Amino acid sequence: MSDFLLEIMTEELPASHVRAGLEQLQTALASELQAAGLLPEGSVEVFGTCRRLVAKAAVAARQPDRVEKVIGPPRSAAFKADGTPTPAALGFTKSRGVDLSRLEIYETERGAYVGFAKTEEGRPASDILPDVLSRVISGLSFPKMMRWADNPCRFSRPVVNLLCLVDGRPVSFKACGLASSDFTWGHKIFFPERRIFPGSFEDYRDSLRAAAVVIEPGARRAMIEEGMRRLLEPLRSRVHPDAELLEKLVYDVEQPHVFLGFFDEEYLRLPLEILSTAMREGQRLFSVVKDGRQLARFIGVADIKQDGQGHVLRGNERVLKARLKDADFFWQADVKIPLQDRAEGLARVVFQEKLGSYADKALRLKKLVSYLCDKVEAGRIKKDAALAAELCKADLLTDMVREFSSLQGRMGGLLAREQGLSAEAARAIYEHYQPMSLEDASPSSPLGAVLSLADKLDSIAGVMGLGIQSTGSSDPFGLRRNAHGVCKVVLDRKWEISLERLVDKAVAGFGPKLARPAPEVKVSVLDFFRGRLRFIFEREGHGYDLINAALGAGIDNILFARRRLLALSELRSSTQFEPFILMAKRVNNILRGQPECRVNAGLMTDREEKELWSIYGLVKDNAASMCARGEFLQAQKMVFRLQPALNAFFDKVLVMAEEKKLRQNRLGMLQAVSRLLLQVADYSQVVVEGEKASK
Amino acid sequence: MDPRPEGALRGLRPQGSGPEREDDEADMTLQDLIMSLQKFWADRGCYLAQPYDVEVGAGTMTPDTFFRVLDKRPWRAAYVQPARRPADGRYGDNPHRVQKHHQYQVIIKPSPSDIQRMYLDSLAGLGIRLEDHDLRFDEDNWESPTIGAWGVGWQVMLDGLEISQFTYFQQAGGIDLVSVPAEITYGLERLEMFLEEKDDIYDLCWSADVSYRDLRHREEREFSAFNFEQAGVKGLQQQFGLFSREAARLIKRDLLLPAYDMCLKCSHVFNLLDARGAISVTERVKLISEIRALVIQVARKYVGRPDGDGEAALP
Repeated sequence: MSDFLLEIMTEELPASHVRAGLEQLQTALASELQAAGLLPEGSVEVFGTCRRLVAKAAVAARQPDRVEKVIGPPRSAAFKADGTPTPAALGFTKSRGVDLSRLEIYETERGAYVGFAKTEEGRPASDILPDVLSRVISGLSFPKMMRWADNPCRFSRPVVNLLCLVDGRPVSFKACGLASSDFTWGHKIFFPERRIFPGSFEDYRDSLRAAAVVIEPGARRAMIEEGMRRLLEPLRSRVHPDAELLEKLVYDVEQPHVFLGFFDEEYLRLPLEILSTAMREGQRLFSVVKDGRQLARFIGVADIKQDGQGHVLRGNERVLKARLKDADFFWQADVKIPLQDRAEGLARVVFQEKLGSYADKALRLKKLVSYLCDKVEAGRIKKDAALAAELCKADLLTDMVREFSSLQGRMGGLLAREQGLSAEAARAIYEHYQPMSLEDASPSSPLGAVLSLADKLDSIAGVMGLGIQSTGSSDPFGLRRNAHGVCKVVLDRKWEISLERLVDKAVAGFGPKLARPAPEVKVSVLDFFRGRLRFIFEREGHGYDLINAALGAGIDNILFARRRLLALSELRSSTQFEPFILMAKRVNNILRGQPECRVNAGLMTDREEKELWSIYGLVKDNAASMCARGEFLQAQKMVFRLQPALNAFFDKVLVMAEEKKLRQNRLGMLQAVSRLLLQVADYSQVVVEGEKASK
Repeated sequence: MDPRPEGALRGLRPQGSGPEREDDEADMTLQDLIMSLQKFWADRGCYLAQPYDVEVGAGTMTPDTFFRVLDKRPWRAAYVQPARRPADGRYGDNPHRVQKHHQYQVIIKPSPSDIQRMYLDSLAGLGIRLEDHDLRFDEDNWESPTIGAWGVGWQVMLDGLEISQFTYFQQAGGIDLVSVPAEITYGLERLEMFLEEKDDIYDLCWSADVSYRDLRHREEREFSAFNFEQAGVKGLQQQFGLFSREAARLIKRDLLLPAYDMCLKCSHVFNLLDARGAISVTERVKLISEIRALVIQVARKYVGRPDGDGEAALP
């Protein structure tokens, strides 16, 4: 087994690109090496910093030999009865350049043939790797790619050096317009001139450590966390947790150094949200809290070995002081202008080129929240809702949000509270951008949730109404994020509202501004939501077929779609489930292509069909009202009761009877059954044992 | 795109060995800073251009960058460019916000493989001991819809202070660049505040005897009043129309450099109207796309010219 090391050195990659690059490098390298027969132990390890993507693996020194059978003439034609070879055998061995003694007999489907085993010798890894590496490296893709110099290649940032070692020996290859080397470089500031010629992975890792580069993300994370602990324990305080910032910093540095800084206590008068945003944005500093209260301190992470002279610490303190001074100035100035006055300026802020201004949006939101308040029985807060809708975008015009855009919403809420507006409206404004992702929390107040839904649906309807779609990695105007937010809010709040009617309202709000006819927009928005729900449910670990079965019964009520799915998941393991699914499919199969038929109870002749019809009547009444209440577990158990009657029906009754009237009557009964089942779930989508999976 | 003199700043001694400065000889004035950068980049083969004489919001917009990045021929230029951003004016009251600041613009095509090293050396050449500081390249992709340009790169942070923008240009005038330039834009006032350890832009020394306040404070006060209060909206609107019609007419006559000047004038007039709060939603969109459309026509014609300031038509 040989020690394989690959390093792609680049100019500074964004943290998210390092992670994306490493993931792809790991998978692509493993699959290419496996395909080449060079990766018997199966796995590739990856490491990286903002300046390098690194992979390590145990590879075979050469490919395994491949044995191939070369088939010649039939045995009967190759050897006489006494075993002497015929001219056919001699000709075959001669033409292939093998000795007669190597011939063997192979039994084939067509009888016995002579032939021989040819060994294809495996090539050494060093022959295979250059192609593999070029392919893997040029195949890496990043959220945003670029070109540099006259190089036609595209990468996240310019590639500056390539190194691949197998057992310490460099492999020569080319990728991204660059020929590989036999060395690497240390930290760009501390060891700019020193070339490192590693002999093995361990040597590489240790030499880089000595050159101020820690290649393992886990080790850097531990160093940062340890640094924080060391500085904050004496203060009995901790950083305000910010996993995203920590993750970014882990990948932003090659040599982490943690420092603790101070700022003037007077700035503690600023709201915490503003303080921590001023620290986080631009300078990437953590706020420090003790017993839930902000201290006049911060934690920073620098890409240095040590800050012997304190330049880095004092520099950051100074920059932060100016930022806080600005933020304080903005806050004092912004508080003085009533949000209502601000809102008047919204006519000058573009929401979307063709969809008009934020003032237009506020008007649409007012209507949508009023509708929603009625639907979720929040009628008593309708007045607050109208106020919140009118003012929720006004903070876009504050200096604070211009400076720190991530404060949008929260800033409006803080101002509303400070200016003495209703607490409900202030809270709703504060949290109406939530949830920003599926991990983020939904708004905590009903009104915040109403406003969040209205805002997101309005954006989705408008943007999709212009024919703009999210495709692959691009998500224009945060369409997916907004749809996820809508689903999450509805599910968290357990609101039973009609998505279709909500979409109707949202689309109608735009009047003639949309580029596509309203019914068409509605269909594409609903399709889009179906896709997003599928994504959300898959992420929760549900099987795709159950998801299809649940969504197939409709997505108008998102909460019900989830309950259908949960019921299906719960029942899947019950003994009744599989036979019932097969029965439901049988019903569907027999109905395929049949015209709609009416049922006339008077035409029923057999006992089994009368029995089915009467049980159907009972089950239907019960199941329908259970479905209406969203009790899908009960509803499903209820329709299971049709099973024995259906069994008997199929056993004893000829559905496709000769006589047309009888036949149509029986088909009509099954159609009724099928319609009932579809209220509960689209069982035809469920895949069970004994039938081939079909997506 | 460019580092604006905002946010705060710490300096350090050019030969720094401690927080307290002892000798005044080592002080680097703003003009010393400019001279140091001029020498540095001239030594690396850059032609030293003079500031362009039409108002621009950034060094990128001047012809020495805009036209020269469009073709395939190598190009190396460096220059100081005053950058006007009318809405950033604060009447001379804010210690780090001004409606006109100075950029040092370096444009090199094709981007050399050691361009980042050159940039670090240029900082070291200013007396900054990099090993005593935290220098970071923070993702920042620059975009200018008005001139149909965008690039990929970083804002460069020195101890938490943004001192430069570093960009690999990908597109200008709506055209994909075949030969990719590296663009470095130093925010001169910012860098100088760092070097002089000053917290107020007006305390900077332009030369040993002339302060930034002497030179620029009155200008900031008066231009802020002009930008926000006195600029004649009606006149500006007429100017926009005149300049854009003139640009269109000149494009037809293949007078592309004068046409581009007219586009720059449109852009500045637009910025003034914006500072005056005189642009509505629909107008904003319309005016920006109007300028962009003109600039794109200029660029297309420029690269497609058979007699070849641009070698051949680009894709």
